[in-house]
Parts: sequence; C-alpha cells; structure tokens
Amino acid sequence: MLKFILRRALLMIPQLILLSLIIFMLSKAMPGDAVTGAFMSNPNVSPEQVEKIREKLGLNDPWYEQYGRWIGKAVQGDFGQSYVHKQPVTSLLAGRIENTVLLSLFTAIVIYLLAIPLGIVAGRWTDTWADKMIVTYNYFAFATPLFIFALLMLFLFSFILGWFPIGGSGNIRIDPGSWEYIVDRAKHLFLPVMSGALIGTYGTIQYLRNDIIDQKIKDYVKTARSKGVPEGKVYTRHILRNSLLPIAAFLGYEITGLISGSIFIESIYSYPGLGQLFLQSIAQRDFTVVTALVMVSGAAVIIGTLLSDIILSIVDPRIRIE
Amino acid sequence: MTNPVIDEKKLIAQEKLNNPSLLRTIWREIMHDKMALGSLILFTIIVLSAYISPLFVDQTALTRVNFLNVWKPPSLDNWVGTDDGGRDVFGQLMIGTRNSLTIGVAVTLIAGLIGLTYGLISGYYGGAADNVMMRILEFLMVLPSLMFIIVFVTIVPNYNVFTFILIMSIFAWFGKARLIRSRALQERELDYINASKTLGTPSFKIMFFEMFPNLSSLVIVNMTLTLANNIGIETGLTFLGFGLPAGTPSLGTLISFARNPDIIKNKWWVWLPAALLILVMMLCINYVGQAVKRASDARQRLA
Amino acid sequence: MSLLTVNDLKVHYPIRGGFFRKVVDHVRAVDGISFELQPGETYGLVGESGCGKTTSGRALIGLNKATSGEMLFEGKDLAKLSRAERRNYTKDIQMIFQDPYSSLNGRKNVLNIIAEPLRNFERLSPKEELLRVQELVARVGLSPESIYKYPHQFSGGQRQRIGIARALALNPKLIIADEPVSALDVSVQAQVLNFMQEIQEEFNLTYLFISHDLGIIQHMCDRIGIMYRGRFVEEGTASDIYNNPQHVYTKRLIAAIPEMNPEKRFEKMHLRQSINQEYQTEYNNYFDKDGRMFDLKRVSDTHSVAML
Repeated sequence: MLKFILRRALLMIPQLILLSLIIFMLSKAMPGDAVTGAFMSNPNVSPEQVEKIREKLGLNDPWYEQYGRWIGKAVQGDFGQSYVHKQPVTSLLAGRIENTVLLSLFTAIVIYLLAIPLGIVAGRWTDTWADKMIVTYNYFAFATPLFIFALLMLFLFSFILGWFPIGGSGNIRIDPGSWEYIVDRAKHLFLPVMSGALIGTYGTIQYLRNDIIDQKIKDYVKTARSKGVPEGKVYTRHILRNSLLPIAAFLGYEITGLISGSIFIESIYSYPGLGQLFLQSIAQRDFTVVTALVMVSGAAVIIGTLLSDIILSIVDPRIRIE
Repeated sequence: MTNPVIDEKKLIAQEKLNNPSLLRTIWREIMHDKMALGSLILFTIIVLSAYISPLFVDQTALTRVNFLNVWKPPSLDNWVGTDDGGRDVFGQLMIGTRNSLTIGVAVTLIAGLIGLTYGLISGYYGGAADNVMMRILEFLMVLPSLMFIIVFVTIVPNYNVFTFILIMSIFAWFGKARLIRSRALQERELDYINASKTLGTPSFKIMFFEMFPNLSSLVIVNMTLTLANNIGIETGLTFLGFGLPAGTPSLGTLISFARNPDIIKNKWWVWLPAALLILVMMLCINYVGQAVKRASDARQRLA
Repeated sequence: MSLLTVNDLKVHYPIRGGFFRKVVDHVRAVDGISFELQPGETYGLVGESGCGKTTSGRALIGLNKATSGEMLFEGKDLAKLSRAERRNYTKDIQMIFQDPYSSLNGRKNVLNIIAEPLRNFERLSPKEELLRVQELVARVGLSPESIYKYPHQFSGGQRQRIGIARALALNPKLIIADEPVSALDVSVQAQVLNFMQEIQEEFNLTYLFISHDLGIIQHMCDRIGIMYRGRFVEEGTASDIYNNPQHVYTKRLIAAIPEMNPEKRFEKMHLRQSINQEYQTEYNNYFDKDGRMFDLKRVSDTHSVAML
C-alpha cells in the first residue's frame, strides 16, 4: 500500500520536470522576452542599453542556466513580472485564483449533487420512464459542446429573461462580508456554475448507472437478497457502498476538464478568473503570465491525477498492481 | 481437383450474405432505430447542403463588405440576415459548416491514424516497450491540452489551416491510443497472433492486417464519437479566436460575434443559427454513433 | 543424424520485487531439458499443467526466448540465430495450437488463413495459390467450397483441421503439436489424432507432441519424455514408460490413468497405495534436498531416469 503510494508519487517528479521543460521551451519560442515587452516600445532606451539589460538579466546565458534560474524561482512562487499589468505574476494570479477555484468547486459540487441521485435512480430502476428520461438527458449532456450551452444559457436567462447579471463576478460597490454581498456573488456565480455542471454530469451518471446494473446481478447481491435483506437496504448497504466509493476518486481526473471548461465559461460570462486571464494574456502577448498559468494548471492536473490514483488504490485494491 | 473454378463468384456472394460485414450490421441497427435513422437523414441533408450549396453561391459576394446592408434581420433576401459587413449569414453558415466538417474529419483521421499506430505498437509488443510508451502517454494525457493548443496557435509561424489541423491532431490521439493499446494487449495473448508469428508473418503485417481487423469496430465507434468532439473543439477554439485563421470562416467565426453583449441580444441572427446548427450536428453524429456502438456489440443490438 | 537435438534448454522468467523492481528470483519454467528427435518419429512431452512442456515447445518455435541451452535443428543452433536467419527455418518448423477457436483469425476466410504462410514465403499467382489451398483443404477432409467460409462457421474439429492445413502449407519437417486435441470433444479427438498419423506418413513429418493426456500419448508416440517442474523425470520408448516405469512420479502418473474394468478397481487401488508408500519412504532417492530432480541416468539403451 505505502509502497504503491510512494512509487506513484515518485512518478510525479519526472512528469513535473518534463512539463516545466516543455513549457520553458515554449516560452523561449514565444516572440519577445521580458526585455522586449518592457523596454522595446520605449523610445528613450537605446538598443545598447537593451542589450546591457539582457546581459544583466541573464537572457544571453545558455538555455539550461536560464531554465535552472526560472524553475528555481518558480518553485519559490516567483514567476517574474507581467509587463502588461506591471506587477509580479504571482500576485496577479493570487488575485484571480479565488474566483476560478470557487467556480470549479461549485461546479464539481453541483455535478455530484445532480449526478449521484440521477445515476442511482437510473441504475436501480432501469428501463422505467425515469431511467429513460435520465438517459436522454445524459445523452444531451454528452453531445452538447460546453461553449454553446453556456452561450444559450446566457442568452436565455440573462438577456431574454433578465434573471441574472450578464457577466462579472460581483458588484464591487457592495461591502464584502454583508449578506447582500454573498447574494450578489451567488447571483453572478449561478449561471457559470450551472452551465458547466448541467452538462458535466455525463461521466458520473454513465458510470453509476452501468456499475449499479453490473452489481445488481452479482452473487453477493443475490446472497443478500436471498437472506431476506429488504430491497432498499440491498442498495444502501451493499451495492452503493461499492459503486459510490470510486466516484470520490474521480474528482482529480476531472481537473483537466474543469480547467478547459473555465477557459470557455470565464470568457463567455466575463468572469475574472484564471481562464479569462489566460486568454487576455495571450491576446496581449503577456507571455510571462501565460507561461505561469500553463505551468500552474499542468501541475494542478498532475497532482490531481496523483491524488485520484492514490484514493482509488485505497478504495479499490484491485487496481493496485505492483 | 478437376474443376478448380467452381463458380467462384456465386460462392463468394453466398458467404458475404452469411457473414454480414460491420457496415451491414450498422445499417441494420440504424434502420431499426427511428431516432438514429432520423439523425442520419438530417445529418446527410446538412452535409450535402454544406458541400453542394457553396458551388452555387457567389463566394466573393460573401466576403464583399456592403455598408448599406449591415445587421439586417432575417428576410427573404437574406434568410438569416446579414452581419456587421452586410454579408449574408446563411451563405457563411453553409461555408462555415463545410469548413468545420472538413477540419473535424481531417483531425479525426490524422489523430486516429496516430493513435492507432501508437496503440497497436504498444499493445502488440507489450513488456518493456509498452511500459515506456505508456509512461509517455500518461504524461501527455495530464497536459492541459486546450491551453497548449492555444499557445501553439499563437506561436506557430505561418499559421494556416493545415498547421491548425496538425496542432489539433497532435493533442487529439491520446485517448484513442490508450483504448486501442488495452484491446491490443488482450488480442496479443490469443493464438492467432502466435500462429502468424510462427508462420513467418512480419510484425507490422500482423499488427495491421491480423490484429487491426479485430479492433476495427472499436476504432469505428471511437472515430464517430470523436468526430463530434473534434468539431466541438474546433468551433470552440475559433469562437475564442484561436481556431481557423481569418479568411476561412467556420461556424465558430459566426458564434464569436456573441462575445459582444449587444450582438447577443439584438443581433441574435448572426450567432444563434450557427450555435443551433452545431448543436443539431453534435446530437445527430452522437446519435448515429450510439447506433454504431450498439451494432459493434452483439449484446446491445436492438436489431 | 537426429532432426532436432535439445541440450540443457532453460527458460527462466524474472520475478521482480521490492521498491525498485529489482530481479529478486526466477521462475524456472524450463530448467535444463535435453532430448533428441529422430526424423519421422513422434516424441511425446507429458506432464501436469505448469510443468513447462508448452513453454519448451514455444521456445523451440521461437515464441519464447530461451534463457540458455542449445536447440540444434539439422545441426544449426536455433537459439543463436538472428531473427532474419531464424526466418529460414520457419518453413521447416510449424505448430498446431491448442485452442482451435482463438488460433484462427475470425476476420479472415479459410482461403486467407491457409494462404498466409504461402504469401510469406512463396511467390504464387492468385490462381496457383487458390489451387494449393484447395488441395490442402481437400487433403484435410473439408469440402472445396468451404474456402470462402469464416472460422465461426466450422466445428472445433474442422477448425483444427484448418489449423493443420495451414501448418502443412509450407511442407514442414517438424510439427510441434501443443495439446492439439484437448479442446475438442472426446468423439472428435480420435478422428483428428488418426488424421495426424495419416499425414505423418504422407508428408514424412516429425511430431513433437505435447499433452497431459497419457492415453493419447500412448496412442500417438514412439518415445516419451515425462516432465515435472521444468525438468525431465524419465525418458524412454512408449513401452519403457508404460510397462516399466522407474521414477516414482512416472509410476504415480500411470497409476492415475482411470481403470475401465471394474473388477480391477481394487487391484489398482492397492497399487496406488504401494506407490504412495514408496514415494514417502524413498523420496530422497528421487529428489534432492531442494525438491529438485536429479539429472537423467541411463538404465537401458532407450530408457533414462532421474534418480540418485
């Protein structure tokens, strides 16, 4: 057990190093560097001075020295300066990360709140009208592209019906901490969260339904029934115990989806999070920010997958292949 | 053997009947499912009109700016109105559909080929080779691919449709490779693979001519379902402004008008039809894909 | 000269363990076996499941890598050949597989299945190829129109005949038959076995016949090697083994053949009890302190036993 976790955790280290190397190479391929961004447009700085600054910042050193410096600083949480926002990238990210985490967290919670009961109902009462409706809903959830769904939701609920604000994360004039503030934030979060969650249920419902259908005919369930265990208890005590546990583990695998989802959602609802920052920075050629964002997201996915693997190995010993 | 040619053609035809091909089974499955049949017909109509109508439409007229005719709501002249340059939205819709479909198919095929080759090699050889290839694949799968695609799109020099297809394909084959590898790993344990080895068949031939036909239904099912997905990703990227280069309109180009609140509400005819068209295509392709999936698995068949 | 000489063949698999997955030990699937095959004979390899008989056969044909030892085929050591050189011997050594269901590719019709080796080694026009396949199909007793059928349209026995036709296509000298009938109905087993004997004479084949069924081995084989835990226990002609077993393991195997005559049941039971007795008292004569067999020792011209 411990051996599996350790070995799995060790595997993460080369993954992180490789990720950082690739991102570093990409950042070198991006047009312009810290100096071009900061001084090139300034006519008061001569090319010789630029060259001097380059030398001083170490931008003429061999790549591996530059990489070492970059990763060394990145580990300490220093990703350099954003020349568009004129502030350290780290503090820029810190200001936005709360919004994205909040969005992703609520999306994940709503997905589970919707998907688990629906999956159980569909799996327990297969081929009833309820099951058929859930399967149909799930089919739509699977087939609909996120950005289209989000646009349609925005169009319908914000523009036509006017129930929700059309964008942003909250009204800055309201005093933080007041009840009003919370309601206002919730109103701004509701549509983005629902857009992601309503069609994010696919995997969980599909897994639960199939798993319950598989478990239903297993011998241990038949044994429980033949002993006279009431049908409700067969589910709560026996089947669901086996089917629900792995779902907790899947959250880590969902991070990739949540990240790419946040890019679309934040762009459509002008929600000031990391996804929107990423698109803005790309458009403004603010590549220190882009590099930092890709690195942070990549690391988040790697760590999330690691946690999922470990949780899953605790829940389901069969996958713990030595 | 006195008469070796014992009416070959009749024999072959007879056996064809006894052994319906996958295509036939799929067809039968679709015919038995009204929704799937409807989806297929609707999708065929969309595809045909997308590929045929541009032949009759004056292409240059679609790109010509006409300031007297901007933001016209739907009318008899312009079925779904005009955009900010007075261009006909319906014509753009057709060309956009054609471009999105072509790119979706191209990405699906290229990614399918890469994934198939990678998965077959990994699964066929197994052991240490498989181990190394799977570690690499695991790494690729944890990359935030949407971000990487966007970064590549911005930094690639001479960015055009082909580089875009290539970039998308590079990030679209991971899942397929893993799926095929796990099946190939099961197949390699079967004796018909061993038999081919003892008969002196070269490895690449065993992979593609012995093993692959046994995985073909898996590949076809996966390709239909990922086709929809790839069209979604392409239009999504174009919507964000990182997809097709300007000059090659996609459905995403029309939808990207919707990033302006005024247009979302007051000029809905520019973006809404494109959004709905994508939605309808996704639903159709996926529905047909489900039927294909059932056809490939005898236990799930309805027909 | 013998057709095939196997010298001290070993196939070991590493067992990995510990944190760094180092090789901690080996599974000795085949642990030093030696035997010879004379042209035209049938040599039987018998033993319980897991004794290494299939692994030996697969090592000979190249499906497994031999860890050490020699496999001299007509004087050439197969173990030392490169992949390309080894291909030259593919024509001469062929295999019949145990499972007639998985050993034929379900996506190919009989023509394509039997033509596969021909396409690898002989440049034939489609017409010549068709003729050759039809000949082979007729020789194994299937109707000529069946060449466009697919494997799932045949019974197990028929499928095994297709497998045999495929193995015969290249006119091999040696055929390794790995449990060729154990997946078939008993009623079909005899048919396939007799058919194998017929074609042996016709094509002048040498068989290495791998089986766990002592009855079939007795019916088919000229000489027999008994395997146990990757090593030879006893080797000799069929009559040496069946009438004069020397090793206690061989005795126990033969005593385990079911007796058809009910009147002899008690006799058989007493025999078994006495062999069991011998096994317990004289264990040290047959196995060393690690439970490993001794090397073979000659007891007659044809007969060798692994005894102290």
